[in-house]
Amino acid sequence: MFDAIVIGSGMSGGIAAKELCERGLKTLVIERGRKLEHGASYTDWMQPWELPNAGMVPEEELARDYPIQSQCYAMTSATQQYWVKDSESPYTTPADKPFSWIRGNHLGGRSIMWGRQSYRLSAMDFEANARDGHGADWPIRYEDIAPWYDHIEKFIGVAGSKEGLPQLPDGEFLPPFGLNDAELQFKSAVEGKFPGRKVIPGRVANLSKAQPHHEELGRNSCQNRSFCERGCSYGAYHSSLSSSLPAAERTGNLTIVTDAIVHSIVHDPKTGRATGVRIIDANSKVGRTYEAKIIFSCASTIGTTQLLLNSATDAMPNGLANSSDMVGRNLMDHLYALSVVGLLPKGPDTYYHGRRPTGLYIPRYRNLNPAGEGNDFVRGFGYQGGVSRMGWRSTALGLPGVGAELKDRARKLGPWMVYISGFGEMLPNPNNRVTLNANQKDKWGIATPHIDCALGDNEYKMAARIIEDGKAMVQAVGGMVMNVSAEPGVPGLGIHEMGTARMGKDPKTSVLNKWNQTHDVPNLFITDGSAMASSGCQNPSLTYMALSARAADHAAKLLKEGQL
Amino acid sequence: MSELLHLDRRSLLSQALLLVGATATAGLSGSALAKVAAGPKRFLDAPNFTVLSAVADTIVPRTKTAGAVDAGVPATFDALLLNWASPATRTLLKGALLDIDQQARTQQGKGFAALSPEARLAFLTPYDAAASKVVPVTGATKNALSALMSGPPTANPSYSKLKQLLVTLYYLSEPALTQELSYEHAPGEWKPSIPVTPDTRPAAGGAF
Repeated sequence: MFDAIVIGSGMSGGIAAKELCERGLKTLVIERGRKLEHGASYTDWMQPWELPNAGMVPEEELARDYPIQSQCYAMTSATQQYWVKDSESPYTTPADKPFSWIRGNHLGGRSIMWGRQSYRLSAMDFEANARDGHGADWPIRYEDIAPWYDHIEKFIGVAGSKEGLPQLPDGEFLPPFGLNDAELQFKSAVEGKFPGRKVIPGRVANLSKAQPHHEELGRNSCQNRSFCERGCSYGAYHSSLSSSLPAAERTGNLTIVTDAIVHSIVHDPKTGRATGVRIIDANSKVGRTYEAKIIFSCASTIGTTQLLLNSATDAMPNGLANSSDMVGRNLMDHLYALSVVGLLPKGPDTYYHGRRPTGLYIPRYRNLNPAGEGNDFVRGFGYQGGVSRMGWRSTALGLPGVGAELKDRARKLGPWMVYISGFGEMLPNPNNRVTLNANQKDKWGIATPHIDCALGDNEYKMAARIIEDGKAMVQAVGGMVMNVSAEPGVPGLGIHEMGTARMGKDPKTSVLNKWNQTHDVPNLFITDGSAMASSGCQNPSLTYMALSARAADHAAKLLKEGQL
Repeated sequence: MSELLHLDRRSLLSQALLLVGATATAGLSGSALAKVAAGPKRFLDAPNFTVLSAVADTIVPRTKTAGAVDAGVPATFDALLLNWASPATRTLLKGALLDIDQQARTQQGKGFAALSPEARLAFLTPYDAAASKVVPVTGATKNALSALMSGPPTANPSYSKLKQLLVTLYYLSEPALTQELSYEHAPGEWKPSIPVTPDTRPAAGGAF
């Protein structure tokens, strides 16, 4: 019997395990994927000329095994080991509503390949549902989570600049990765022409300057290589492998099992409590049950949904902790892939050194006024991007020509290119829903998810504004718009899926209370993305981690008080 | 915004890049190319591998620095045909090579590899220009950045793919990264602004 079981070892599971272990709880982390070793399993040593097949996954293998995963920008032959084979990981969608579920099943989960952008939600975001009536009101406000944002930022290390923006609260930052000269030019043009808009360094969970508490865990300062998705042997970005699990491990309270497919959570109808977790050993195919006093589900949004629904019993026929019928509903992602690319003919005659692990960020600037601003959509969006000098891919191949002329061209610095891509808030909609397929099971005999999710009218109106604003900002700095992608990416490709076990005040309309504790099963906590009552437009992992730490602290207190 | 999709990025690049004329004609002799072709087991047979080597050497010749053949590009390209390409892509890329060779025979009376380096360049330059003509596209771009990076559709997509792969393999090679460009595996410090000097070379390893 463990004190706690954490299902999943990714972004939220790693932090939940750390916080529980640090509070003295004997904690078991269950991971469905294989074990990875920090450092030894990574491919960041590969020189460009050592990349298998020049970084490309063989075409037939890609088409056969990775038709979904290959849609992710970070999938190359150097990172291939981190993505699930779609051919072995089935799910369904309606034919006219594709959803791209991007996954990595291994110790550390997607914390190995994440984009590391780390932004706080703001007071406005926690009030949004109450303000405009979409979704259920969050049971917490910014003040409730702010100290936990501090706690997480300090632990993981977030590089960023303090800006004093209410819509994007400042945090406990390491020095920012500063904007280059062209980005400063862009900043000046955008902020001058569009009062209220800001262009700031992207806030990123890379150690611009490792602090002693990072070095104690074996983590080092970022070397500006931009190989992050391959895994970083320097431990310069936060991941479960580099950071949270080692912190949990040093308490002596952590046990990890890998290759363990969680089948269901065991529920005792007499006590109303969860008593353990049934797993199938991926190697021996043998089932076993682990028992604990409290359980944290950090299996990722769709993973947790599948698990709760698959844990249905006679007493809970709609699935565990689903008396509200909200488990699986309100699936959200972020509007993604809405991009504008332009050339800056009059960029500065300077360069930069290093491949920094972030770029620029344009915080939300629309619908900040509660009284309304006349936009034809609610909520808002931000942009990620950067301005960089085009390299050989463009200068060598961008014009016809062969021979010495081509080489000459590639040897010169290319022009500055500005690239910005919008991330827009998606509204909670109960019809965007994950259910289980009664007639399709995976190789473990577990019913597969059916994901029925589509963007709505508000999202399409917002997408159009993202593009128009993006073009205007590129043009404000004298940029020539060269390419625009105005069609939102397939939902899921933002890799910010969330919302299917939302927090709320009312057990009738939400799954979790203000401590991420299920209303129905008091010793079951959920702290992955499924807990989110709204999505904001900020990259969400920082919030998942803050909620995980906060919930773990509360669960440990309840346990100590004998309430669980 | 469909008009933006029709923009020819090349004309934009022409405006933005300060191009200089070609340097002295370079290139390997036919016997040197034949030597390259006599290697380990490959996907392409020796005659076709010789054509490949000649095309690679013409697109990226040895100048003061290593060329594609010095950088082993024909062998790495052949390995891509074996290990990466689908049957359809193999056919497409081999077809692109054979077309160059066939056109050379038609126009010059001998195979591409048998031409002198100067004649190869003189032949391939207009071939490249015609093949690289941009074809207007309709419909939405799915991903602005990847669309920009892969370039617009061209009159001869098979040749464009062949050229893209050969040039990519060259600029991923150690000789190119150390002689033509600059590359540091671990740059260390991020410096957001450094002066440009005559010695400044584009830093490789980034996305673009």
